[in-house]
Amino acid sequence: MGWAARPPAHLRAFLRRLALGLPLMLLGLGLILGLAPQDPAGPRFATGGAPLPSLPMPEPGVTGVLTLRPYPLLHVGEGGGMRTLLLAGDGKQRPPGDLSVLDGQRVTAEGFLLSRGDIAMLVLGAPPRALGGATPPAREALGRWRITGEICDGKCAADGMRPGIGIAHRACAALCLDGGIPAVFVSQAPLLGHAYLLLAGPDGGPMDAALRPLIGRRVTLEGRVERLGRLLIFHAEPPG
Amino acid sequence: MSHRFVPVGWTRSKILYDAALLGGVAAYLVAYVRLAPLLGATPLDDQSLRMRAFGSGAFLLLTLALAIGPLARLDPRFLPLLYNRRHLGVVTCLLALAHAAEVLGWHFAFSPTPGAVALLTTEPGALPFIAFGLLALCVLILLAATSHDFWLAFLGPGLWKGLHQLIYLAYAAVVAHLAFGRLQDPGALPLALLLGLAVCALLALHLIAASREARVDADIAPPAPVAPWLIAGRAAAIPEGRALVVRPPGGEKVAIFRHEGRLSAVSHLCAHQHGPLGEGQVLDGCITCPWHGYQYRLEDGRSPPPFTERIATYRLRLVGGWIWLDPRANPPGTHVPALVLP
Repeated sequence: MGWAARPPAHLRAFLRRLALGLPLMLLGLGLILGLAPQDPAGPRFATGGAPLPSLPMPEPGVTGVLTLRPYPLLHVGEGGGMRTLLLAGDGKQRPPGDLSVLDGQRVTAEGFLLSRGDIAMLVLGAPPRALGGATPPAREALGRWRITGEICDGKCAADGMRPGIGIAHRACAALCLDGGIPAVFVSQAPLLGHAYLLLAGPDGGPMDAALRPLIGRRVTLEGRVERLGRLLIFHAEPPG
Repeated sequence: MSHRFVPVGWTRSKILYDAALLGGVAAYLVAYVRLAPLLGATPLDDQSLRMRAFGSGAFLLLTLALAIGPLARLDPRFLPLLYNRRHLGVVTCLLALAHAAEVLGWHFAFSPTPGAVALLTTEPGALPFIAFGLLALCVLILLAATSHDFWLAFLGPGLWKGLHQLIYLAYAAVVAHLAFGRLQDPGALPLALLLGLAVCALLALHLIAASREARVDADIAPPAPVAPWLIAGRAAAIPEGRALVVRPPGGEKVAIFRHEGRLSAVSHLCAHQHGPLGEGQVLDGCITCPWHGYQYRLEDGRSPPPFTERIATYRLRLVGGWIWLDPRANPPGTHVPALVLP
């Protein structure tokens, strides 16, 4: 018995087997569960988009054109080589400072870069500095689309966390979006070569608040899609 | 036993039990967090990896803790595992706390929204898996905090045992936490299979043990020709040092022990945790509970000094080789002369 100073003789062999078998069983289960595919944002979601251009980080900073709708974005480079960076602040917060005066301006910004698949995010340590006026890049309308995927925040989806999407990550995504991090739509199947789309509202502003209950869940949404350089913007409408 | 309360009454068996338990937990965590990535597992960030290792580890230990009860009912060789089950429960709670700490420090951190507010506001939609996890954690903390003989004595065995039945609520909440959360994601098939297997095995064990118990409970002692006596069975059928368990109509079960040519009848329920005394044996002249080793004297149902537990005693008669039992329980600790066998 367990309370005896020594177990009875007829139980000793059985208890020895248990004492060795339990750790071995747990070791095996740990390996099985640890080796199981765990990242829903694995290769399936990283297929689309062009490779990220080599950026001169962190010195002397990134120079580009800043726009604020649907979210603060920094457009680096020109023409076919232009790359759009989503902007965020430290943690689960919007970029620091009042960016409204910088809308449409050429700016220089410093921070660190996150990227996954075809989205990239610049996490700013300080507000960007204005360099002068500029022309915002043109957008190309790609028509209406009905897309299945998941609403997530652009920071975790851009490799801020691994896995940065999924139901278990839902609360984190909701906090990020509440804090002003740009929303992204992670498409179940690549759309025009893109697995990650910037998720905007039908009016061209941030994601519609009615979509908040759908964060982290597999949903099918409809709306118009625009191309902005190498980035696709999905102007999703709230369902029904 | 209950002479005085100490944090843990260490014995050699408890040390070996805990060593095997902690060794198993360490093996699980090392395999999940260190070995699997070396063998080519999908790279996750460290916090997410630990979050999953701690959470799944807590689920496995909780399943094991719940399986020990029916296993010990079906096969007495598992009784030694029952004895130290509290330590298993406390380790399970610590793993669940570690899981919660990782979640709070990663998914709920770095935000201007306070963690407590975030817990209640960030679960939009119809699948509230965080709430189920919180419920399970609260129950596990409550049970771990009261997993001590002080609380057992303070609350009494009935209330304490009732409180600790909440472990089933915690398990259901953990299953819902997993089913509405992690299992919704792609790539969760191994965990889903493990969850299904664990739940089915646990249900099967409990059903088999309950069915066997129900068959025993259905065997009610018939009345003797003279009221209120019941015919308990043949004296010759009771092995030395062991008991015959009798179920009076509408009453608690009674254990009739044979020791050195004498018969004594006491309550089948141990005063400690209502363990099955009738499945125990006489050691050092005392009835000894198979669950935790609590002991009672045969003649009066009292624990030997300095211990103070008492259980009810019963009167016996021997009529033509048959044991007659008076099903009216004496107050706990009442002296009843042992029935001397011819």
